[in-house]
Amino acid sequence: MQWTLQYEETWLHRLNPAFKLVFFLSLFLTLLFVHNPNVMSNLTFVPFILVLFATGHRRIVIALLLIPFLLLFFSSASSMMFFGQGSTTWWRWGIVHITEESFFRGLHIGFRALNFALLGLLFALTTRPVFLFYSLIQQLKVPPRFAYSFMAAVRILPVMVEEFQQLRAALLIRGVKKKKGLRRVTQSIMLYAVPLLSQSIRRAHRIAVAMEAKQFNNKERTYYYKQTFSKVDIYFVLYIIAGFCLSYWIGYTFPYFEITDVRN
Amino acid sequence: MKRLKLSDILITIVIALVFGIIYKLWGPVYAILKPFGLHVGDVIYGMWFIAGTVAILLLRKPGVALLAETAAASGEFLVGSEYGLSVLLYGIVQGLGTELMFALFGYKRYTAFVAALGGIAAAVGSLVMDAAYGYVMDLALWNLLLLIGARLLGGFLIAGILAYFLVEALEKTGVTTLIRPASDEDYKALDQ
Amino acid sequence: MKVGVSNLRVKYAGAKTLLFNNLSLQVEEGEKVLFLGPSGCGKSTLLQILSGLIPNAVPVPMKADQVKTPESSGVVFQDPDSQFCMPYVDEEMAFVLENRAIPQPEMKKLICLYLHKVGLSFSDPHVEISSLSQGMKQRLAIASMLALEPDVIFLDEPTALLDPEGTTEVWNTIKQINEKQTMIIVEHKIDEVIHFVDRIVLFDSKGKMIADADPKSVFSFYKPKLKEYGIWYPGVWDEHRKENNLPAPYVKGQQLMVINQLQGYRGKTPKIEVSDAIAHEGEWIVVTGKNGAGKSSFLLSLMNVMKTTGTKSVRGQLKTIKASREQLAFVFQNPEFQFITNSVYDELAYSLEMMDDRNVAEKVKNWLEAYDLHHVQNLHPYQLSTGQKRRLSVGTSLFGDQPVLLLDEPTFGQDASNTFKLLDLFEQLRSKGMLIIMVTHDEMVVQNYATREWVIHEGKLIEDRKLERREEEERYAVDSTI
Ligand SMILES: Nc1ncnc2c1ncn2[C@@H]1O[C@H](COP(=O)(O)OP(=O)(O)OP(=O)(O)O)[C@@H](O)[C@H]1O
Ligand SMILES: Nc1ncnc2c1ncn2[C@@H]1O[C@H](COP(=O)(O)OP(=O)(O)OP(=O)(O)O)[C@@H](O)[C@H]1O
Ligand SMILES: [Mg+2]
Ligand SMILES: [Mg+2]
Repeated sequence: MQWTLQYEETWLHRLNPAFKLVFFLSLFLTLLFVHNPNVMSNLTFVPFILVLFATGHRRIVIALLLIPFLLLFFSSASSMMFFGQGSTTWWRWGIVHITEESFFRGLHIGFRALNFALLGLLFALTTRPVFLFYSLIQQLKVPPRFAYSFMAAVRILPVMVEEFQQLRAALLIRGVKKKKGLRRVTQSIMLYAVPLLSQSIRRAHRIAVAMEAKQFNNKERTYYYKQTFSKVDIYFVLYIIAGFCLSYWIGYTFPYFEITDVRN
Repeated sequence: MKRLKLSDILITIVIALVFGIIYKLWGPVYAILKPFGLHVGDVIYGMWFIAGTVAILLLRKPGVALLAETAAASGEFLVGSEYGLSVLLYGIVQGLGTELMFALFGYKRYTAFVAALGGIAAAVGSLVMDAAYGYVMDLALWNLLLLIGARLLGGFLIAGILAYFLVEALEKTGVTTLIRPASDEDYKALDQ
Repeated sequence: MKVGVSNLRVKYAGAKTLLFNNLSLQVEEGEKVLFLGPSGCGKSTLLQILSGLIPNAVPVPMKADQVKTPESSGVVFQDPDSQFCMPYVDEEMAFVLENRAIPQPEMKKLICLYLHKVGLSFSDPHVEISSLSQGMKQRLAIASMLALEPDVIFLDEPTALLDPEGTTEVWNTIKQINEKQTMIIVEHKIDEVIHFVDRIVLFDSKGKMIADADPKSVFSFYKPKLKEYGIWYPGVWDEHRKENNLPAPYVKGQQLMVINQLQGYRGKTPKIEVSDAIAHEGEWIVVTGKNGAGKSSFLLSLMNVMKTTGTKSVRGQLKTIKASREQLAFVFQNPEFQFITNSVYDELAYSLEMMDDRNVAEKVKNWLEAYDLHHVQNLHPYQLSTGQKRRLSVGTSLFGDQPVLLLDEPTFGQDASNTFKLLDLFEQLRSKGMLIIMVTHDEMVVQNYATREWVIHEGKLIEDRKLERREEEERYAVDSTI
């Protein structure tokens, strides 16, 4: 999400945000019905290429953001690989039981998780929240009360970061001793979470009153930003369709893995 | 039914976004605990349900748990969650779970007991999603049971009990007088 | 009648008593009215009732025979950081225009028009609100309020959190608004407003109206009341000084604090540089400078909470936070973040227990008396009034026998009696030989209490002036170094 990150605008930023959201959701549902690991691994490249080359963010930022994704790939894949059911045993050691079926199923799950993650990142990196919420109101008829609350709430977060730094300095100066083990957890909740939450609830209340003082209610309203559709939306859909077709074609003609359906 | 006012919505979303960021940070923590596949890590999965319980315990109004959990998931999604859009659907179902429990008690009881049930219900929601979403049923039986047990325990401990104590601590700071509706006695006192 | 209530009664949830008991008040077209009263007497509540926010937006139990609210009201609140819901200036202004259902093509022009009215002229108003100074933010709040084209304007301490420059800036802006505009104002810092309002309504601490007249009469006939309730009035400083025989003359003490080539960093950039400075026992040094000059950073570097280079010493080098803590007592700008326990008593006891003190109970009891917190010792620190919170934060920082007290704007936003209580407390400590270093924007504190002033400008200590403590009105600088 873009509060402070420097980036260049690309064609992906000009997509209609609500459309992007709905389209991504449908992609997400479609992926649930892909059971061929060959196709799934190919499909991963479709968003990956865009994330790498078309978000307008600096490479280093993208590289940093991708680190947790690798972790996720392994963690998603591993439990299925080690403990899944299957008949063709490759390796057994204590409770670990790797079978051919479970191995490919694990790999498949890993790729799928990666795919979802990249789609999500693509969305986050190319959507300005304010436009998203305007678009949700205009295209998806989300009640303005919810959308504007979101925008206002987003503004409170950086303030909280500052407050957190103050709080930390104050606690250092008072010389709070860190407790050990589980009591450490309760201690940090009491010392950090409670004051920060309490302050931001007060702040949120004040902002809500200020918004109502500006006569924000359920009357007719006009909009400063008009969110519309454009040709870019079509290009994007075409890119995705082409990507899917290619992935299927390669997946079936030049399979890397023997298994073509991980369900059995 | 009491309609949510603007301040209720805004406060709920602010709390939710704070947890949304915690949710995002929780991703790597969970991923590190998980690779051994023993699902011990799933005890901490309960953190992903906490926004709903905390918000509804604080504001005590219908719909707040669902809104909070959905908003927290959206926040997590918008900061670039490694789970992508799936968090949105998970959020909605988990929020529904918590919401249902409080609805069962007619939105009249906000005790540790109901909070714990709410946390467990959210855990059930997440398991239902897992089943619909993935190949969880293909895990070896003992492993699947371990997963379910850890998940429910996490919901109970983190989204239930921990959330309850957090709200209790917040009550002590006096913020809740700001956000909870006045009682009938307060209105009656005006006539004396 | 433009706005008014008759026989108003209000009760906050859980409060033991009614806030107003049959209050009646009327404001006519074109009047400018100031509400004055001690902290917590209900000024903000009344303002919100008259503007219609209570009970429509904020459901507070209330009852009245009649409430007349304006067709459209514009409100400005005190906190510049919690009035906006959008990230950019133009978007925030547009939010108001959207609420009024102004057609989109006209918005750009109107935004510039209203911004121009408050003296904010950007070539492109798509500017991040967070990049504005506090004073500019408040002017933006006024602009967006004007964009509502309100019948009546309500101002709830619009300058409470601003430095002197911002305050003047904002009041000048307000004074430019149409002369016939009806306005209802709540403000502690009266200097700027008394010549501007036609009428002052004075409340006592229970929310009872005790005066309603033009400013002159109020300040001449009700002075004892103003004093009793700790409200600021013109000339209050002189009177306080006379009555208390202040300040005691300053006798130069032993050398206590030595700073050499100190630099404090946030990240890689130095935010504060002090090449060398020496301070003595019994001095009262005020640290002044604009918002963002680096005053807080200076204190934080002395405490070692920021990364620092160079040396500083008080009875020995201060190299760690622990060493600093044992020599320097520190009071934060926002006291709420300093509290770590659930009651006033525990808060005071905590520091002692950390020092393994034996007579905790007795010492805490003495402190509670000294800081006038005895009757609230079991409350949660957050539930105290602003003045009480501040006194508690001073109490908690002075746990050992540190020779130096660092204060970050301790009198900010306090009423007169709280301010004097605090200043007298500091003066007492100073006269016993404590070195006081205090960040402040308050010119009167500088004139009346300080023995020395350090001016910080753009991250550097650029001036070190000795101030003569005298009883005459004018004080002057005797010595200028650096
Ligand atoms: N939400 C609330 N719940 C309970 N009590 C409240 C609430 N808001 C205010 N009060 C109490 O009502 C009284 C009047 O508050 P109000 O904010 O109107 O005072 P004020 O005159 O504006 O004070 P200040 O000068 O400090 O701003 C105070 O005693 C305050 O503690
Ligand atoms: N946490 C932070 N991280 C980075 N920069 C900061 C941080 N806090 C303050 N700064 C910057 O350091 C500089 C000095 O800030 P500082 O808070 O010391 O100013 P100040 O003189 O105390 O101002 P004020 O009168 O507003 O309290 C400012 O430019 C500010 O933007
Ligand atoms: Mg007030
Ligand atoms: Mg400061």
